[in-house]
Amino acid sequence: MAKKREPVLKTSGLTRKFGDFTVLDQVNLEVFAGEAVALTGRNGAGKSTLLRLLVGADQPDEGTIEVNGSPMFETSAKIRRDMAVVIDDLDFFPDLSVVEHLDLLARAHGLADPDAVVDEVLHEVQLVPQSGQLPGTLSSGQRRRLALATAFVRPRKLLILDEPEQRLDVDGVGWLAERLVAERQQGLAIVFASHEPHLVETVATRIVNLGGGVGGESTPTGDGPQPGQVQSKNVQKTGAGQNKSGQKPRISKKGGRR
Amino acid sequence: MSQTPQADRPQFHEGTGKPRASLEVNPDGVDESELLADIKHWRTGRATRSLGEALSRGYIVLFAMVMFGAMIANVIVTAQVSVSSCSEATCVSARTVLPWAAVAFAVAVALFMSRLFGPVVASAAEGFWLMDAPVRRGRLLGKRLYAVVIVVTLVGAALAALVTALSGASPAAIVMWTAASGLAAGASVAFAAAQQSNHDNRLVRVMAGLFAMVTLAAMLLVVAVAAEWVQPPAIEDKSFLIALIVATAGLVVGVLSLIIARVRLDRLRRQRLTSGGSLVSGLSGAMYALDLGLMNDILNERRFTEMGNVRVKTAAGVGLTTIIVRDVLRLVRSPQPLLLFVVSIVVPYVLDSLGLSAIAAPLSAIALMAAVLPLLSGLRVFSRSGGMARSLPFSPGQIKRASIALPAILCIIWAFAIFPAYLGFGGAVQRTIPEALVVSELVAAAGLLGAVRWTIAKPINFSAPMVATQAGAMPPGMITNLVRGFDIALLITVPLVFNLPWWVSLAIAVICGIVLLGSFNMAEMQHRAKQQQAEMERLKTGRGRYF
Repeated sequence: MAKKREPVLKTSGLTRKFGDFTVLDQVNLEVFAGEAVALTGRNGAGKSTLLRLLVGADQPDEGTIEVNGSPMFETSAKIRRDMAVVIDDLDFFPDLSVVEHLDLLARAHGLADPDAVVDEVLHEVQLVPQSGQLPGTLSSGQRRRLALATAFVRPRKLLILDEPEQRLDVDGVGWLAERLVAERQQGLAIVFASHEPHLVETVATRIVNLGGGVGGESTPTGDGPQPGQVQSKNVQKTGAGQNKSGQKPRISKKGGRR
Repeated sequence: MSQTPQADRPQFHEGTGKPRASLEVNPDGVDESELLADIKHWRTGRATRSLGEALSRGYIVLFAMVMFGAMIANVIVTAQVSVSSCSEATCVSARTVLPWAAVAFAVAVALFMSRLFGPVVASAAEGFWLMDAPVRRGRLLGKRLYAVVIVVTLVGAALAALVTALSGASPAAIVMWTAASGLAAGASVAFAAAQQSNHDNRLVRVMAGLFAMVTLAAMLLVVAVAAEWVQPPAIEDKSFLIALIVATAGLVVGVLSLIIARVRLDRLRRQRLTSGGSLVSGLSGAMYALDLGLMNDILNERRFTEMGNVRVKTAAGVGLTTIIVRDVLRLVRSPQPLLLFVVSIVVPYVLDSLGLSAIAAPLSAIALMAAVLPLLSGLRVFSRSGGMARSLPFSPGQIKRASIALPAILCIIWAFAIFPAYLGFGGAVQRTIPEALVVSELVAAAGLLGAVRWTIAKPINFSAPMVATQAGAMPPGMITNLVRGFDIALLITVPLVFNLPWWVSLAIAVICGIVLLGSFNMAEMQHRAKQQQAEMERLKTGRGRYF
């Protein structure tokens, strides 16, 4: 009998409210190794909120989150070792240069050859000329590239990104898409929020559209999934996240609304 | 002034055919004072009450200020009368040397602040809306320059008046040193303003450093006299003359620098003006929120953004060690915090020599806390937003402990350096060597933990429900946020002030250390408790888990 695959990331009944406003309502999500789940939706749909819950930057009002079978605790060293995160709360040391930031991360994670890894990633993100610059002098695009580099310069099993295409130029988005595809093919699990169609189309194996929509209604055809709909690139159409009608569709790999 | 080219510009709007407004400029040029008058008119036109009306409504505050001011003045006068009759060597050295320290301190601080902010500043809005226009910047900013010089002169004078009065100087000496300090401070700001148009302000930085050294030397001399290593300089009778010379020099340098600064105002670049203005607005925003940590972050960020590039230093080690090594390399790159550290070593000796041994412990701890803060910049980044710490495969407690390893080592060295002061340097308090060592280590621990508390404390949460107070609604923790860090330093050292056994302070220090340097995360603990409670509820009702 084939061993059942355990999800790298699993959420159950995840709910988050701000006062009377429910942003996320009973979100169930499973992400396996080699999968890339894209969160899409309008502004305010709850994409960033969901990501913040997943990385422990915020606490859900209900529900559980598990990473590799262990409950998600933001302070857990094991989870920090496995989860690489690039969301909006990344900070930089004002007095450490670009390469020193990456060197610190690589060594903190115990890489055998941190110098080689850092050099390689610096070349990839095209920040070699800025190696000796302090973060305060970088452009917003360069800071974004540095932030992305922090995810690739250390070991990871799960990658969580919030709108990683922000501030990147066209070439940068292209590079990012290729890199994430390669990571996924190597068995990394990826969850990312994005407004960039090319990135979503290229990288995602599943798309979760958050915000609005009523489960069960027929939706007009379009280029992408409509609110309330999850589109899987492996022809698995499943239910979507939160909705306003009180219905609680679930998202699972097996497909079909429940 | 040339006219805007009109040849290619359509004279009429397309569609409506209405004539376009002319872009011809006034051949007489711009009157900057009119511009300033317009801005003032627009601003004051929106005011709903005058300054007098506002003050009359706040008369209780005024009365309170007058009362407190009178009380403080009374204390100072009483202290002056009492100390002036003291003829011991320590008192003589204080009267002779401390005015020098006050003048040097005032000048050093004035130069430092001038280099940091300008001293002539313009807001970003002024930079965008006014500075790009063909106006003479000197006329726009002249009054601002004079105002800065006058304010600094008054503050410098007040500082020297306080120091000389408390050290028991004669009224004539107080007046002359007050004038000397004020004029010297004003002259230093005028000098910095004259240098502001230079791209390289190293001269101001060097002079600020020199005067800081003079301040330190003066404090050390007071200590040396108290320890009877040297005789007090026999210049007390010449104090008035020396003060007069300093005042005269300050006046001459100040006037000349002011003239040069005024002439050079027209050459000040917009970026040079508005960078200080942006800093002022950032700091004032942080000050409004009483977020001292944010103020420190803003200053740090600016300092290193100005630096721009560094020579890369590759760290060594893996795991937690690399954090410690990186802190060492950071200190090698910017060793200025070590200077502050050295200065803080002087404080217990100065306090002991001035007969303030009873409160030396808490004051020394606070001095050390101020010196350690610049060494905790790494911990600050790890704790303020969580993103960087989350990238590391360690618990928050491990990261905190690694981040304070280097400061802790320096604090241990500090403790050994200051323990003679707790032996009874000036003769006031006598302890055995082991006792003095223990007390000095406890003071060092208080300073270090106070600095840690200050660094990792969260900012005020303005979105939380407000608390009703006599002063109106306030967010919870607003006042306690101001004293964060100091609370820990005092908590550990106050038992020593009251001559309680040293182990009381030790126990408090250990508890503070466990709380501050552990992996406690209040939000996470509350969330776990909530989850457990929900689980209990589900088991009670037999509903099982979510699915």
